[in-house]
Amino acid sequence: MIQSVGRAARILKALGSESARLGVTELAERLGLAKATVYGLLRTLEAHQLVEQDLETGKYRLGPALLQLGNAFLDNNELRARSLLWAETLAGRAGEAVHVGVLYGPNVLLVHHVFRPDNSLQILQVGASIPWHACALGKATVAYLEPAARDELLAGTLPRLTGRTLTTRSALEVELERVVGGGVAVEDQEAIVGEAGLAAALFDNGGAVVGAIGLAGPVERLLPEGPAKEAVAAVKEAARGLSRELGAGRLAAPGAGA
Amino acid sequence: MTAPVAAAVPWAGSCPGPRQEAARIVDAACVRRWLGEVAARLEAERDFLTQLDAAIGDADHGINMHRGFTAVMARIAAAQHPAPGQLLKLAGRTFISTVGGAAGPLYGTAFLQAGEALGEHERFGPRLLLDALRASLEGVQRVGAASVGDKTMVDALTPALAAYHLELRMGGSLETAVSGAREAAAEGSRATIPLQARKGRASYLGPRSVGHQDPGATSTALMFAALEQAVLADRSRRFAAGAKRPVSGP
Repeated sequence: MIQSVGRAARILKALGSESARLGVTELAERLGLAKATVYGLLRTLEAHQLVEQDLETGKYRLGPALLQLGNAFLDNNELRARSLLWAETLAGRAGEAVHVGVLYGPNVLLVHHVFRPDNSLQILQVGASIPWHACALGKATVAYLEPAARDELLAGTLPRLTGRTLTTRSALEVELERVVGGGVAVEDQEAIVGEAGLAAALFDNGGAVVGAIGLAGPVERLLPEGPAKEAVAAVKEAARGLSRELGAGRLAAPGAGA
Repeated sequence: MTAPVAAAVPWAGSCPGPRQEAARIVDAACVRRWLGEVAARLEAERDFLTQLDAAIGDADHGINMHRGFTAVMARIAAAQHPAPGQLLKLAGRTFISTVGGAAGPLYGTAFLQAGEALGEHERFGPRLLLDALRASLEGVQRVGAASVGDKTMVDALTPALAAYHLELRMGGSLETAVSGAREAAAEGSRATIPLQARKGRASYLGPRSVGHQDPGATSTALMFAALEQAVLADRSRRFAAGAKRPVSGP
């Protein structure tokens, strides 16, 4: 490990975790480093536009180059690029927000988010990281993983996010079987109180699961009395269509026979 | 604000049981006044709450809470003289059915549980109110699974309950206990600012939730401020009416 690169990374993370800007002294205290060291690192990062200094206060904040890097990360995600049209169509058809996510370790990373098409104020959740067992996207994805990978996740920590989060291996095993049986994963306020989700897995041309697409919205609309039938149909259709574009065979797609 | 005589009384350190409360001073009228005060404050603070929520949530907390309480006020206005517990249960059911997002189930459960704890009593005192507050917190934690420090309404409710309990243990009155609760809830809501959210939509933002006050903790603090005002107004009303018996419990 290169120490100075590690330190620079810690500076970026510290600046990213505060809405307030930080000065050299604050950063040095927080990271346990000498002020001169922090100053040198900041000057280098600034030269690359990874941080910038506020001219009035002299404090530092994240720089514009990071936005470009973040966008590049998302653009390089093939699933996101391919999902744009299908996600838009699904949001329009269902009248709810659409999420597309991929598994990163035990979490689902949201790589795409289409707002609920009703002009209400919503927050872009791209980049959010949600424990797999608490969300529809995660359950839809994990249900189709290779047994070894699935077992590892089931054996990992399963934190409780609400009173309804499934936190035992046995309950999740039953849940994953249900996902495979119905071709759709249901999230009933397991990540956020009042919020529900419906999601279906996405497959590549080798038939391997690569992520999931689904709806996210108020529980009373997505699960009025059990999952809303039309919403389930719309999610499955979007997942099938997108998987076909990714090159998956028809039989590999979830609920293909339905 | 605690009466210094508390240390001299033999039962200092514990509270009288709910059944032995000498002064059952809160009645349905006071509960109605409290709910009315909450509704008025939510109307005044609606935009502020929504603004807080816009930073880390879905920008609907103020609107949701205001809509829910408007519905609650309409329902309890139509209810003929029910006991305090029934009023709160009605408020809880109304909240759950009219408010979306997390606020509906969480506050709805809090009111339902409080109403359940008050039972059929026509009047109650500080000890039964303690039970009601405790039941509310338990209900909220059952639904939301949040602990102190997760940047949720629990960060206001827990210290409020603790301060209320402490006042009673030290021999304080209903009035000093609700004042203590109001102060602790307000402090608790401000203390959410440097926290990183671990529950709710704000937790999706990870470190970006730092530096913002939690809207749920803020609306909880507002409810305790309204409670204090209702209880104090109740006392002045009784003094004005020439009540001779002491208003402080037990």
